[in-house]
Amino acid sequence: MTTRLTRRDLLKASGAALAALSVGRPAHAQAPKPGGTFVSAQTTEATGLDPQLVPAFSRSRRSPMMYNQLVRFDAEMTPVPELAESWQISPDGLTWTFKLREGVRFHDGQELTSADVKFTFDRLFEKSPGKSDFIAVDRVEPTGRYGVKFLTKEPFAGLLAALGGFWGFILSEAGIKKHGDLNTAALGTGPFMLQDWKVEQQMVLKRHPHYFKKGLPHVDEVILRIIPDEANIVAALRTGQIHHAFLEDNKNFNLLKDEKTLTGYRSSRLGYDFLNINASRGPLRDVRVRQAISWAVDRSQVLRVAASGFGRLTAPATAPMKQWQLPEEQWMRYYRPDLDRAKKLMADAGQAGGFTVKLGVIPTFPTMVLGAPVVAAQLKRIGITAEIENVEYAVWIKRWLAKDFDLTMNTTPGYADPDTAFFRALHSTKGQNWNSWSVPELDSLMEEGRRTLDQKKRKDIYDRVQILILENVPHLWLFSADTIDFTQASVKGFKQHPMTLLYGFEGVSLDRA
Amino acid sequence: MGRYLVVRAYSMALTLLGLTVLVFLMLRLIPGTVVEQMIGADAIVSPEMVAQLRRFFGLDQPWWVQYSRWLGNLAQGDLGTSWRTGKPVVRLILERLPVTIELTLLAVGFALALGIAAGIVSAVRRDRAVDNVVRVGALLGLSVPVFWQGTMLILFFSIYLRWMPPVVWVDLFADPRRNLTIMVLPALCLGTASAANIARTTRACMLDVLRSEYIRTAAAKGLAGRAVVMKHALKNALIPIVTVAGLQMGILLGGTVVVEEVFTLPGVGRLVLWSIYQRDYPLTQSTILFVAVLFMAINLAVDMVYGYLDPRIRYGE
Repeated sequence: MTTRLTRRDLLKASGAALAALSVGRPAHAQAPKPGGTFVSAQTTEATGLDPQLVPAFSRSRRSPMMYNQLVRFDAEMTPVPELAESWQISPDGLTWTFKLREGVRFHDGQELTSADVKFTFDRLFEKSPGKSDFIAVDRVEPTGRYGVKFLTKEPFAGLLAALGGFWGFILSEAGIKKHGDLNTAALGTGPFMLQDWKVEQQMVLKRHPHYFKKGLPHVDEVILRIIPDEANIVAALRTGQIHHAFLEDNKNFNLLKDEKTLTGYRSSRLGYDFLNINASRGPLRDVRVRQAISWAVDRSQVLRVAASGFGRLTAPATAPMKQWQLPEEQWMRYYRPDLDRAKKLMADAGQAGGFTVKLGVIPTFPTMVLGAPVVAAQLKRIGITAEIENVEYAVWIKRWLAKDFDLTMNTTPGYADPDTAFFRALHSTKGQNWNSWSVPELDSLMEEGRRTLDQKKRKDIYDRVQILILENVPHLWLFSADTIDFTQASVKGFKQHPMTLLYGFEGVSLDRA
Repeated sequence: MGRYLVVRAYSMALTLLGLTVLVFLMLRLIPGTVVEQMIGADAIVSPEMVAQLRRFFGLDQPWWVQYSRWLGNLAQGDLGTSWRTGKPVVRLILERLPVTIELTLLAVGFALALGIAAGIVSAVRRDRAVDNVVRVGALLGLSVPVFWQGTMLILFFSIYLRWMPPVVWVDLFADPRRNLTIMVLPALCLGTASAANIARTTRACMLDVLRSEYIRTAAAKGLAGRAVVMKHALKNALIPIVTVAGLQMGILLGGTVVVEEVFTLPGVGRLVLWSIYQRDYPLTQSTILFVAVLFMAINLAVDMVYGYLDPRIRYGE
C-alpha cells in the first residue's frame, strides 16, 4: 500500500456504518474544557515503570504519560522536536548536536538541563537492554546548559528513530538519586505525574502544572485501570464506567460500533504480527522449504481470523513507515498463495513427504492464538504438520533468547526506522540473529544502510533489503492489524499514535455538557 | 485445652516448613526467571549483563543457599522485598488483605444466610415443591464454575440492565456504599457454591435430627413447630454445618483468586497471580505462606467453636 490512510479516510472507505461513528462531530468544536478525571482501561499491567530497565511494551506505552523524548514521531512518523528544539549533523556524519528547549520543568520543579540528558544516556548504556537501539553511539556530551552532542562510532542514520523510540525517554538525575530505580516511582517532564500505583489494579496520575506545552494537559487526573478480561472492558465502555479503552481483540469492534454513546477509532499501526522461522532447525535450513511456507500461507485468511479482517497485509516496512514503503506490486506478488509452487519447492528440497515442526503461541496474545490454527491448517496442505504449542510468556522469552523454537507466532509494536527494524533481527553476526541464519548480501546492505545518511540512497538500500527478505524468508510478515480504540462520545481530542504509545492523553478533554 | 493448642501449633509449624520447601521448589521448576523478563525479546544483551542481573537477584546461588536465606529472613519476620515493584512484600499483602477478607466474609455471610435458610425450609417441607427447587438449585450452584458465573453476571447486568459494578476501586472505609456496590456481585458469585453446599448439609442434618425421638417428644408436649425447628433441631444440627462452613471459608479464601481476577478486585489473590507471571519469587513465596497461615488459623478457630457448640467435645480434658 503506497499511501497511509488516516483514520478519517479509513472510516469513509469502510462505509456509512463506520462513518456514523466518528465523523459526525464538527471539527470546529469549542475550546477544550479543562478539568475532570479521565479513566482508561487496559488488559495488561505494566511489569514495571523504569523507562530503561523494563523492556515490556506495557511499560513503553505508559512512559509518554510521565516522560518526554528529545524527538518524537508525529502521526506521519516524521521525527519532530520535543525536548530538543533543533538538531544538526556534522559534515563527517559522526556528531549530532541537539539544542534543548529552555525552561522545561521536571515534576519536582527542577529545570531540565544537558546534565540530565547525559545522565540518562550514561545510565542507558550502562544497564539497559535498550542500548541495542543506540548501538553506534559512542558517548553523549553536554555542550553548555542547553546543548548535547551525540558522538557516534560510524555515521548512524537510526539515531533519531532511537531517540523517538521506546528507550528514548529522558530521566531526571535527581529522580534516580532520590528513588533508586524508577520501577514504582516516576520523575520526568511528561504531562502527568505519578500519584499512586496499585499493581494489577490502577495507576493514578495527576496533571503536571508546569508542563512545557502550554495549556496541556486538559484533564486534572488520569486513571489507568487494569481489567484483565476484555469482555469486561467492553461492558465497562457500554455502561460508561470508563472513558477510553484500547481493544486487543479486534472482533470486539463489531460489538461496540453501534453504541451511540461511544466513538470508535481505527488507525493503522506500526506494529505487525509475524511468523518466525528458525533457519537452523532440520528442513527449515533449506531456503526452498521456507519459500514453500511463504507460498502456502494465505495471509489474508490469517488476518481475517486473527484480527477479524481489521488491518492489512504488509511488506517488511509497515504502512506507517511511510518513507520506507515498497511499491505494493513489488511485495504483494510474494503474498499470493500458490500451492503448486509450494509443493514443487518442497519436492525440490527433498521434503515432498513433509515433516513435523512445533509452532509456538503465547496464550495471552489473542492474535497469536487465533492466527496459529490458520497457519497450521495451511501448512498441512503442503505436508508440514505444525503442532501448536502454547507457551506462557516468561517461558517463551526464555526459549526465544536461547533460540529454542522451530516456528513461532510473534507480534511486535514495530520500528520507526528500517535499521532498528531489520539489523538487530536479521544480521548474522552483529545482531540478535533471531532465525540463526546468514545471508551475506543482506548483512552488507544492512551495514551500509546504517551508515548512509542520504535519504534517497538509504531508501534504495532498504528497498533491496526488503526484497531480499521476501526472497529468503526469515519470517513471514503476516499482517498489520488496525489499532482499535473506543472513547465515550464526551471525550474530545483523543488521537491514537501509530506506535500505540499513550501520547494521546495529553490532548484529551472531557465534555461534561 | 492448653496442651491441645501446643500440639496443634507444633503440627502447624511442621506443615508450614514443608510448605516453604514445596512453594520454593515449585516456583523454580517453572521455566523462565525474572531476568529473561527484564531483558525482553528484542535486545542485544551481553552475557555479562545477564550475569550481573542474575547476581543482583541472587539467582546465581545454589537453590539451598537461596532457600536458607529466605527461611532465615522469615524467621526474623522479614517477608522480603518484591523484585518487580521494589516494595516490601508485607506492605503489598497488607494493602490487599482487607479486600480479600472482606470478600471472603461477605461470601460466607451470604452462603450461611442463604444455605441455612434454604436447608431448613427444604428439610421441613421435604419432597414438596420448595424442597425440589432447593435441591435442584443447590446442584446447579455447585456445578456452575465461578469464573463463568462471574462473566455471565457482568454480561447480563451490563447488556440488559446497563449497569455494572464501578470499576474504579474505593476502600470500604473511604466510601462504604460504593465499596459494597463493587463487592456485591463478586460476593454472590464466590458464595454461590458454598451456599449450595451448606444448604445440602443443613437439609441432611436437619432431616436426621427431625427424625430423632427428642424432637418427637418436643412436638408431643405441644411446642410450636417453629420452636421445635429453630431451638431443638437446628442447634443440634449445627455441628456438621459449622464444619462445612469452616472448610468453606478456607476454600473461599482460595476461590478469591478467581473471583478477584474476574471482577478485578485488588486482593491478595490477584497479587499472587501477577507475581507468578512476573516470576517475582519473594512475592509469590511469602504471600502463599501468608495465606496458608491464615487458612490454618481459620481451621483452628473452627475446631475451637465445636467445643462451644457441643460441650461433649472438649479438647485434652
